[in-house]
Amino acid sequence: MASVTDAELKEMTQEERVKALGMTTEQLTGKSLYIEFDPDAEERFTYPWAPDVDFNKRTELDCDGLTTTEVNAKVRDLMNEGYGTVVLQNPRGMHSLGVGILNKLNLIIEGSTGYFAVGLIDGPNVRINGRVGWSCGENMMSGTVMIEKNAGSTFGAAMRGGDLVCRGSVGSRTGIDQKGGTIIVGGDTGALSGFMMQRGRMVVCGNAGKNLGDSMYDGTIYVGGEIKSLGVDAVTAELTDLDKAWLTRKLKQYGMMPDKGVDHFTKVVAGKMLWNYDNLEPNEKKLIL
Amino acid sequence: MADGDMPKKPALARDVNRIGDSFIFPPRVMDDIHIKSELGRYRMRGFSLFKKIPHWDDLTFMPGTLTRFVIEGYREKCDTDVKIGPRAKRPLELDIPIYITGMSFGALSYEAKTALARGATMAGTATCSGEGGMIPDERRYSSKWFYQCIQSRYGFNPNHLVLADGCEFFIGQGCKVGLGGHLMGQKVTDQVAEMRSLPAGIDQRSPARHPDWLGPDDLALKIQEIREATDWQIPIQLKLGAARVYDDVRMAVKCDPDSIYIDGMEGGTGAGPHLATEDTGVPGIAAIRQARKAIDDLGKRGEITLIYAGGIRNGADVAKAIALGADAIAIGHSAMMALNCNKDIPEANYPEEIGAEPGYCYHCHTGRCPVGVATQDPVLRSRLDPDEAAERVYNFLHTLTIEAQLFARACGKTNLHSLEPEDLAALTMEASAMAGVPLAGTNHTVGIEDYHHL
Ligand SMILES: Cc1cc2nc3c(=O)[nH]c(=O)nc-3n(C[C@H](O)[C@H](O)[C@H](O)COP(=O)(O)O)c2cc1C
Ligand code: SF4
Repeated sequence: MASVTDAELKEMTQEERVKALGMTTEQLTGKSLYIEFDPDAEERFTYPWAPDVDFNKRTELDCDGLTTTEVNAKVRDLMNEGYGTVVLQNPRGMHSLGVGILNKLNLIIEGSTGYFAVGLIDGPNVRINGRVGWSCGENMMSGTVMIEKNAGSTFGAAMRGGDLVCRGSVGSRTGIDQKGGTIIVGGDTGALSGFMMQRGRMVVCGNAGKNLGDSMYDGTIYVGGEIKSLGVDAVTAELTDLDKAWLTRKLKQYGMMPDKGVDHFTKVVAGKMLWNYDNLEPNEKKLIL
Repeated sequence: MADGDMPKKPALARDVNRIGDSFIFPPRVMDDIHIKSELGRYRMRGFSLFKKIPHWDDLTFMPGTLTRFVIEGYREKCDTDVKIGPRAKRPLELDIPIYITGMSFGALSYEAKTALARGATMAGTATCSGEGGMIPDERRYSSKWFYQCIQSRYGFNPNHLVLADGCEFFIGQGCKVGLGGHLMGQKVTDQVAEMRSLPAGIDQRSPARHPDWLGPDDLALKIQEIREATDWQIPIQLKLGAARVYDDVRMAVKCDPDSIYIDGMEGGTGAGPHLATEDTGVPGIAAIRQARKAIDDLGKRGEITLIYAGGIRNGADVAKAIALGADAIAIGHSAMMALNCNKDIPEANYPEEIGAEPGYCYHCHTGRCPVGVATQDPVLRSRLDPDEAAERVYNFLHTLTIEAQLFARACGKTNLHSLEPEDLAALTMEASAMAGVPLAGTNHTVGIEDYHHL
C-alpha cells in the first residue's frame, strides 16, 4: 500500500490499524440514513438458521422415488427436528445431494451420488459408501467428507476448509482453485490436479497425472507415487520432518497410512515466479508460453 | 526540396513533405510499441474501449407526432418497475430498470462499494458483490443484492450465498470476453488478499474457466446445485460477454437460469489488458437484438429476464437498450463517475498523481485513483465522502430513469418496457444492420429485404 508502510502499521494500536486498513463498520450519516435506513427494519445481514442437533438421534431416509429437492428439504426438516445422524438409502446417483448444509450433522449416504455431492457445506461429517461424480465437496468450508470408492473430476474444487477424503482414485483437476483445507486421495489423481491452487494441502497416495500444480499460487501437494509432469511454476521441495509428522497424523486418522510410511512422498509447492510478472528476468518470461 | 535535405527553417506542423502522418502507424500506435518493448508484456489498464464502434449515438428515437399519441410528461404514469427472474420463489423486484453492476471490493474501495449500495437502496434498486466475496456492510446497505459466483470463487462462501437476493454466475464480461478478472499487486492489500485466500501484493490473474463445470451441460447441474443450496428462493443469473450472442444465449437458456445478463464490448473493467478491451466482443446494439431473439425463439420471453450492460451513459442509452429488447440495465462506469471518477475535486492533483488531466484518467488498475474510488489506499480513500457519494449515486440513478421515461412518454408508452425496436431509427448503415432497425428516412433495414413484411 502506498501511503501506510508496514513499519507504520506495526507502530499502530489494533484499533488504529483496523481503521487504517478500512475494516471498520461505517457510521451512517447523511440523507441516505433518514431516507432508507429504518432502525426497526429487518436486518439484511443475519446468518442463517442453525438447529441444534443430537448426534445420537438417528434416522434413515429412503430416497427411492424422491427428487433431489425433496431429499434435501427432508434432511433440513430432520435437522430441525433435532436428528443429528441421517442415513440416506438408495441415492441412485442423484446430483446435488446434501448441498448447502451449514450445520453440524452426521450424514451417511449408502450408495453412489452424481455431480456436486455435498458441495457448499459448512460443518457436517459425511460418509459416502459408494462413488461420487464430478465436483464432490465443491467449495466446502469445514467438516469431513469420506468417500469409500472412486470420485470424479474436479474433486474438492475451490474448497476452503475441512477434510475431503477419497479412498479410491479420482479424476482430473482435483483441488482446482483450492483455497484451504485438506484433500486426501488413496489412489491416483488425473491431469492438472492442484491447478491454480491457493492454499491448503493435497495428499495423493498413488500417482499424479500431467501438469500437477499448474500455476499454483501457494499451498502444498504431497504425492506418494509418480508424478507424470509438473505444471508451470510448480516445483518440488524438501520433505521436512514437520511434513512427515503431519502426513503421518493425517493418514493414520483416516486409516490410509501406506505400508512403507511417508518418507517416499514428493512435496510440490509454488515456484512463485508468476507472483509478480514484472519482476521476472527477460528470459524467465518465456515461462508462460 | 528533396526528401532528406536539411530544411532552411524549422518545419511547420502542416508541412506535408516533412510530416510522416501514417494511418497505420499514427503516434499513439508507435507509443504503444515503444511502451511494450520496454515492458515485455501486454499493457494493463482500467476503463473500457477507446476506439469508436457503432453504438447508442447511432440510433435515434421516432417519437409520436400525428401517427402516434404521446403521453404527458410529468402527470401521466409511465411505469418503470421490473421483476428479475419472475419464476423464482423470491424474484428480485426493482423499482427502476437500472441497477449497479458487480464491481469487486478490491477494484473499488470500501467507501465506493458502500456508497453504491446506499445510493441503489435509495433508488429502490439492486447492487452486486462482484468478484472477491461479500463485504458485510455492502450487504447491510443493499436492499437487493446479487452475490457473484465467479470462476476464481475468491471469497465465495455458502453462508453469504444464503443471504443473497440473487446469484449471478460470471461467465464472461464484454470488455474482455474470454478472460478472467485481474487485480494488480498494488491493490492486493492484506485485507483483499485475506478475503481471496491469496498472498498479499501479488498480481492476481483469476482463472477464465469455472473450476467445477466446463460446458453448458454441467452448468445446468451447477445451477441446480445453487438452487438446492438456496432452497429455490432466489433468481439465478448468467452473465455473458457478448460474442456469438445468438448461440450463446440459446445455450444459456437451455441451462434454465432465471435471467441472462449480456455485457456489450463497451463494458468497463477495473483492470484488463488494453488490447482485450479494444478487440474482443460485439457492440451492445447488436448483442441485445440477438439475445432477445434467442430467448423469444425458445419461447422464454417473460420467464427469463434479459439484462444488458456496457457503455450506458444516460437515459437515452437506457431507453434505447430497453427498446431493443433488454428488460433491465446494469451500469458500472457511469455509476463510478457519479461517485466522482474523473472529476476535478480540490483534493486531487491528477497530473501529478496519475499523469493525466481529469477527464482522461483510465488508471483504475494502478490503485492510485485520485478520487478514492478505485483504490485501497487509506489516504486516497478519505477523498470520497460516502454520504455525499451515496446521494449522488441516487441522483444519477433517478435521473437516468426520468430521462428514459421522457423518451418512453414521447413515444406514447405508459410503461418503459413498452418501448420497442419500431420506436428507433438508425443514423448509420452499420447501426441499421446491427440493431435491425431501418435507416432514418428510409424503409430500408440493412441486411433485411423487406423489414415490414418479415
Ligand atoms: C472497476 C470495475 C470493476 C469490475 N469488477 C467486476 C467484477 O468483479 N465482476 C464482474 O462480473 N464484472 C466486473 N466489472 C464489469 C462490470 O460488471 C460490467 O460488466 C461493466 O462495467 C459494464 O459496463 P459499463 O461500465 O460500461 O457500465 C467491473 C467493472 C469495473 C469498471
Ligand atoms: S478517476 Fe479513479 S475510478 Fe476514475 S478512471 Fe481514474 S483511477 Fe479509475
